[in-house]
Amino acid sequence: MGVQKDRVKFNVGGRVMETTATTLANAGRNSMFGAMFDDSWNLILQSNKEGERFLDRNPDCFGVLLDLLRTGELHIPANIPEKLLYREALYYGLLDHVRAAKWGPFDGNRLRLSRSLQGQAPGDGTAIRAGPDGGCCVAHGSMVHVYDWMLDEHPPLNLDYQRVNDVGWVDSDNVVIGVSERLGRGDGGMGLFSSHSGELRYKFQVCHENQVKSYTAGALSFSSDYKIFSSCKGRSNEYGVGVWDQVTGKQIDFFYEPLGWSLGDADKLQWLEGSNCLLVATMFPRKDNCYISLLDFREKKMVWCWSDMGAPFAVDEKRVRDAIAMEDNSSICVVNEFEDLGFMDLRSSAATSIRWSSRSRLMKGKMPEEPCYPKLALHGGQLFSSMNDCISVFCGPEWVLTSRLRRSYGGSICDFSIGGDRLFALHSEENVFDIWETPTPPII
Amino acid sequence: MQKKRAFQIEAFKHRVVVDPKYAEKTWKVLEHAIHEIYNHNASGLSFEELYRNAYNMVLHKFGEKLYTGLVMTMTTHLKEISQSIESAQGEIFLDELNRKWVDHNKALQMIRDILMYMDRTFIPSNHKTPVHELGLNLWRDVVIHSSKTQARLLDTLLELVLRERNGEVINRGLMRNIIKMLMDLGLPVYQHDFEKHFLDVSANFYCCESQKFIESCDCGDYLKKAERRLNEELERVSHYLDPRSEMKITNVVEKEMIESHMHTLVHMENSGLVSMLVDDKYEDLQRMYNLFRRVPAGLTIVKEVMTSFVRDTGKQLIMDPERLRDPVDFVQRLLDLKDKYDRIITMSFNNDKTFQNALNSSFEYFINLNARSPEFISLFVDDKLRRGLKGVGEEDVEVVLDKVMMLFRYLQEKDVFEKYYKQHLAKRLLSGKTVSDDAERSLIVKLKTECGYQFTSKLEGMFTDMKTSHDTMQGFYAGQGAELGDGPTLSVQVLTTGSWPTQPSPPCNLPTEILGVCDRFRTYYLGTHNGRRLSWQTNMGTADLKATFGKGQKHELNVSTYQMCVLMLFNNVERLTCKEIEQATAIPMSDLRRCLQSLACVKGKNVLRKEPMSKDIAEDDAFFFNDKFTSKFFKVKIGTVVAQRESEPENLETRQRVEEDRKPQIEAAIVRIMKSRRTLDHNNIVAEVTKQLQSRFLPNPVVIKKRIESLIEREFLERDKVDRKLYRYLA
Repeated sequence: MGVQKDRVKFNVGGRVMETTATTLANAGRNSMFGAMFDDSWNLILQSNKEGERFLDRNPDCFGVLLDLLRTGELHIPANIPEKLLYREALYYGLLDHVRAAKWGPFDGNRLRLSRSLQGQAPGDGTAIRAGPDGGCCVAHGSMVHVYDWMLDEHPPLNLDYQRVNDVGWVDSDNVVIGVSERLGRGDGGMGLFSSHSGELRYKFQVCHENQVKSYTAGALSFSSDYKIFSSCKGRSNEYGVGVWDQVTGKQIDFFYEPLGWSLGDADKLQWLEGSNCLLVATMFPRKDNCYISLLDFREKKMVWCWSDMGAPFAVDEKRVRDAIAMEDNSSICVVNEFEDLGFMDLRSSAATSIRWSSRSRLMKGKMPEEPCYPKLALHGGQLFSSMNDCISVFCGPEWVLTSRLRRSYGGSICDFSIGGDRLFALHSEENVFDIWETPTPPII
Repeated sequence: MQKKRAFQIEAFKHRVVVDPKYAEKTWKVLEHAIHEIYNHNASGLSFEELYRNAYNMVLHKFGEKLYTGLVMTMTTHLKEISQSIESAQGEIFLDELNRKWVDHNKALQMIRDILMYMDRTFIPSNHKTPVHELGLNLWRDVVIHSSKTQARLLDTLLELVLRERNGEVINRGLMRNIIKMLMDLGLPVYQHDFEKHFLDVSANFYCCESQKFIESCDCGDYLKKAERRLNEELERVSHYLDPRSEMKITNVVEKEMIESHMHTLVHMENSGLVSMLVDDKYEDLQRMYNLFRRVPAGLTIVKEVMTSFVRDTGKQLIMDPERLRDPVDFVQRLLDLKDKYDRIITMSFNNDKTFQNALNSSFEYFINLNARSPEFISLFVDDKLRRGLKGVGEEDVEVVLDKVMMLFRYLQEKDVFEKYYKQHLAKRLLSGKTVSDDAERSLIVKLKTECGYQFTSKLEGMFTDMKTSHDTMQGFYAGQGAELGDGPTLSVQVLTTGSWPTQPSPPCNLPTEILGVCDRFRTYYLGTHNGRRLSWQTNMGTADLKATFGKGQKHELNVSTYQMCVLMLFNNVERLTCKEIEQATAIPMSDLRRCLQSLACVKGKNVLRKEPMSKDIAEDDAFFFNDKFTSKFFKVKIGTVVAQRESEPENLETRQRVEEDRKPQIEAAIVRIMKSRRTLDHNNIVAEVTKQLQSRFLPNPVVIKKRIESLIEREFLERDKVDRKLYRYLA
């Protein structure tokens, strides 16, 4: 045979292609090529007289995947449907390779719109959540639609068809949803679902004084030590934040809402790994006032709190619309309806005032017909803020505006989420969401 | 219309029709392949074809058929394998099992290769067991848990372990493979099918063996054997068991071999802990420590036995009247005892803090049993600093001093030590006997860090006095040297009252020659220091005299001031009675007697002759200058007869002084406490006072009570009108 000992000749669907065993070894043992070249399968006898090995597969896709193994990069020619390529990759056991090469590591300043996806559900979306492996789920009314990273839709999730308030990914296979209870019935609460099959795996319960009670689950948060937090509203005024163990599914704690404060119908929960605290924020217009607090569950204490109760509103009325804790510099970032960012110091206790950074764009008075309130997100030291049909990216210690993501149609962005190296933005006017990806790094 | 409908049905039918035998045919191909793989005949198989066939079955929704087919085929093969293993006779049973296991693993891998697509897609979405895990589960259920194999496998393994314990060499590689197989099948399999029984059997084995050993071996040998067994088990785990078994099996050995026998071992006659301690058997002790450390309460026993033995030894030492005769030797023995145990703790007990603490508390216990310990320790220091740590380097001096400090720390009555130390230091300083100023100061520094500034301020004052006196004398001679001519040379040490432990005694009559110089010095001193009083302590000084005896023999006599006064009288007279001497010199009679004794009754030093020749001195005894005195030395030192050690009455006196000194300290403590607390009941006061003073001494509750009463009398405190146990502070 040839000079190179490890040369391999394939006849793929009639087209002969040559490569080397070394290149194919990049596929790993846990792939078809890995198995094929294992010592247990006698290689020599597997080929015909011409030294070819026949594969009854699509030659174009094989070529693309072969290049992926050769270069580590994925280039899909326009004439190959992505779906077909994914199917072929699954056959060879190379789907993970494709996933890894499809888009690059996340950088808010290099995002490109990859796709916009139209959903079938009518009405406004409630929330969109990015999954850990590039998939996402979208809550619409009483349903949650789940998409994998190839943006194939899986069977949707529902819990007794009750209104979904929040969803979250426990891991790439499991999704938790929190729904409202139905009056007079024990339905509602929180359920754990398989993201592949959509089946209900577990229903979380809340006990008050050793009695299981029905409840409405609101905002959700997860900690790295396998805890699930949810704001809960019980029938008999049992308001507060419940804590469950992800492994056993049992309720392990409940933080009751103090008088004159708001925890049970929070808009946002955020678990702070470094300080072992939970940020709970309830905003206007859900309540008349805005309440932000940090809970320490070990000491059953509210270690920090802030509210605009009784604060005199200036003429330009700046109301906090979303809040997010910046753990590294121990402050809380808030945003008002004009997308002004404000900061509160966590180190000084209550009665802190907000330092607004006067970045107000000239927007006042010309709000779109269906305004959406701003939302905040943090990822890799970058701060993201959505406002109307646009997401702004802020960087650096002074939080300078560095990028702006905008798409022409779909109306205002009602929610967005970052995960699996992707950013998902859900629009409010039409049922459509965008997927933003970072391109793979340049060649040189 | 009809035609159209027929066409529609036709088209629909056409689309769904698949060869009904397709699935069956494809499965046959795969089934055949699985057979061939198990029969080591895979070389004729085409991987690509099989892979594609499996893929097609899953793609066309025959995943379930493929999966159940796999389970059935694999089960059939495993049943055959199981039978062939069961029929293996005797020794080759394990070999056969191992060989088949290796085969099965290889086959399993190849089957998984073919069915990879099913493993990746059908299995997760249908909640089936993945192929590899399925293969292991079937192996477990069909082969390992078959009724004939399960018990036989366990017995074989345990038999091999027993044989190895009895010294035979077994095939560890095979053993490791089989155990590894059990672990591969999952931890529960390893634990239930092997580990549990292994631990039970081991417990039995070691229970019997330890019984046998304890009846036939002494403690040291037993420990050696136990240690060897323990190491063997550790080795066994590292060679062919799961690392997680290590704790469990060592626990078994520890429990059976050590914990159940530890009392017997420690107290074993002639070889137990006590005799190891006596004979400094470091290795045995270390072994005991390391083994006993592994069991709960093991070290506590060792510690308790050691403590009680050290206490007994120490008590004997401290109470032995023989030892009390020589304080230096007494303290040296204490130090030796401490050294011995320190060494044992360092070398054998891993420098265990709890052992060190136990040793310290034992020493503290017995040292304070003897009320004279403080005195003796001070005497030991005195001896060392006087006699010198000659030929000893500076660092070694520090070592000795550190050891002394360590004993000092054990003392409860630190103030008694201070008292004696002051006396001894004064003697050393005044007689110029101290060998090393550095060593002296170093010890003071140590005392200071231990007990604080107050403890040593007076001691430091003594050093300052010495220094100032030296400077004063230099000044005196620089200024007046010329006028003094060749009169006697005077060296004065000016002592601050209060810093020194001196008893004021009336000065004796100094010889006129001296008196002159003394007066000059007094004038000089008072001239430079205004408003001071200077009184002579003639009972403490020394003098060097030049004396000429018969045949013109010249000697220099080194004597005390008293002795000088006495001798100087004989410059003018030949014979004097004791009474006359007393009148002439005004030396107190008791001191004079001792002084005369040392001048006339000590052989080789008798510069005076006494009539009658007896040891005791009566008032009418007559003394003559001993013209015939000879000595081979030019310098003759005439010591005063003094007991180095305190005599009984003196001792009592010191005690009393100490007790006297304690009174104001106790009172001060009471007042301090009451001032801050205002009211306090009796028991609490006693507790607080004891706490405050324990760094110096342990106050007696009775004494504290007396002091409280005295303070009440003097209206510092009053009793509460209602509760008589309560005291109130009166500001």
